[in-house]
Amino acid sequence: MPATTKTNSQLLINGILNENPIFRLALSMCPAVGISTTVMNGLLLGIAVLFVQVFSSCTISVIKNYIHPRIRIPTYTLTIATWVTVIDLVLAAYMPAAYKEMGIFVKLIVAFAIITMRLEMFACKNPVPASFWDGVGMGLGFMFAMMTLGFVRELLGMGTLFGYDILGFKPLLFFVLPAAGFFCVGIMMAVFNYVELAYNRKKKG
Amino acid sequence: MKEIIRIVVSLTVSCIIAAFVMGTVFAITDKAKKHNEHLNVQETMLGLLGYNKANPAPPDLKLFTMYRYIIEDDKTKNLGYMIPVSREGREGYELLVINLKGEFVECLSLDISPEKASEESERKSSLRAVVKPPRTFTYSDSTIIARLGGKRLAYLLPGEFPGFKTFIEVMLALDPSFKIMGLEIMEHEEDPGLGGEIEQAYFKNQFKDKSFEKVKELKVVKEPLPEEYLRYLEAGTTKEGLISRKEVEEIKSKYQDRDIYALTGATISSRSVTVGVKNIIRKFAYRVNILDSVITGQKIPVAF
Repeated sequence: MPATTKTNSQLLINGILNENPIFRLALSMCPAVGISTTVMNGLLLGIAVLFVQVFSSCTISVIKNYIHPRIRIPTYTLTIATWVTVIDLVLAAYMPAAYKEMGIFVKLIVAFAIITMRLEMFACKNPVPASFWDGVGMGLGFMFAMMTLGFVRELLGMGTLFGYDILGFKPLLFFVLPAAGFFCVGIMMAVFNYVELAYNRKKKG
Repeated sequence: MKEIIRIVVSLTVSCIIAAFVMGTVFAITDKAKKHNEHLNVQETMLGLLGYNKANPAPPDLKLFTMYRYIIEDDKTKNLGYMIPVSREGREGYELLVINLKGEFVECLSLDISPEKASEESERKSSLRAVVKPPRTFTYSDSTIIARLGGKRLAYLLPGEFPGFKTFIEVMLALDPSFKIMGLEIMEHEEDPGLGGEIEQAYFKNQFKDKSFEKVKELKVVKEPLPEEYLRYLEAGTTKEGLISRKEVEEIKSKYQDRDIYALTGATISSRSVTVGVKNIIRKFAYRVNILDSVITGQKIPVAF
């Protein structure tokens, strides 16, 4: 794949809509199903992914010419692990309150498919600014998807939003359970596909 | 062959760079992290004593730390308690050596200020000055004694014991009659959702208000947690848990002498916490009784 021809804003939108990590690329489904039980969880994990993705993308983009092609995947993993460790340590040292909430999510990220995937597909072939915007787009897209899932599941499952009581009763407790995560992801994917289909048809017709 | 060597070299180099970056960040942030942990422990201790932001600790609440060492040479093995003392208005530390039969051996004064005593290296160097070879000393544990208004308020015991996977670190608060004032799980690696539930209020609060007599024979029962008890245990953590004061007293006295209700799917974790807590309290009560009788017998002006 040659270097991208998209502009920065196109890259940003691309990550959120056209190539949304969860709804279009279907990557990182484990956290999408497991952690998106509340909006707050989605937001925190989204922020953590955003930072790791941007930092890792930029790093790989800078050093892309020095990586031996045979060991690029280990190098990606190493880069992600380094950034995760750095963010984890810095949070623990200087933002203990935030660390209390986010610590567990930050540590999870090392194994996220979406980050390795973006490094392999994009960052190792593109210059730093493009990689930066792609990273931001992907991070925001992930955050958007997680928060959408969290919104639906928290509202329907527990009747709350951000921990505040909205409905005053629990409509469908089923939605907080992991199985409902699959249903939500599936339905959202269908919605995304339908919207794109409708959009393309309109453009043609 | 050339290719293999190149791969090996580049992998090694990237690992070294990554290690260097991580190491540097660790070195920079370590101090701040330790400081945070210290604050966290302090907050937990006050929380166990029933103080929080809404109900701050009174200014005359004092926390004294006592360190226990094992002092031994070829033949004998003694216990050395580093106890905070106040002689002629000055606060310092003295090493009280007691043999295994619970008899007084000697009392040595240490050249260390209370502020420095929390650093392990400082304690070591001050002990080295009085405990000469061939006698050696090994750190065993520490106890925090809370004092309020001229009376002992509580003992705070940091401790650890094996759980289902690795060690579980806890902090226990006991009142002077060794009744449990509270239990806090500091660190553990039990499975989330199963053994990890030991840190939830509905498990750890079950230990609260158990008397010393009850703790000695505390067991784990595999029965479902009664609804009203669950609400009582979680009162204060969730909005739904709100119950009236009268009800609280009723439920408290009803369940005070019951055993610990096991966590569903985590019997081993529940059991290890129960046994661990039991052992910590039993050993501590035995030791502190001996220590107190020696202190009064020798008329040592302890600070606590």
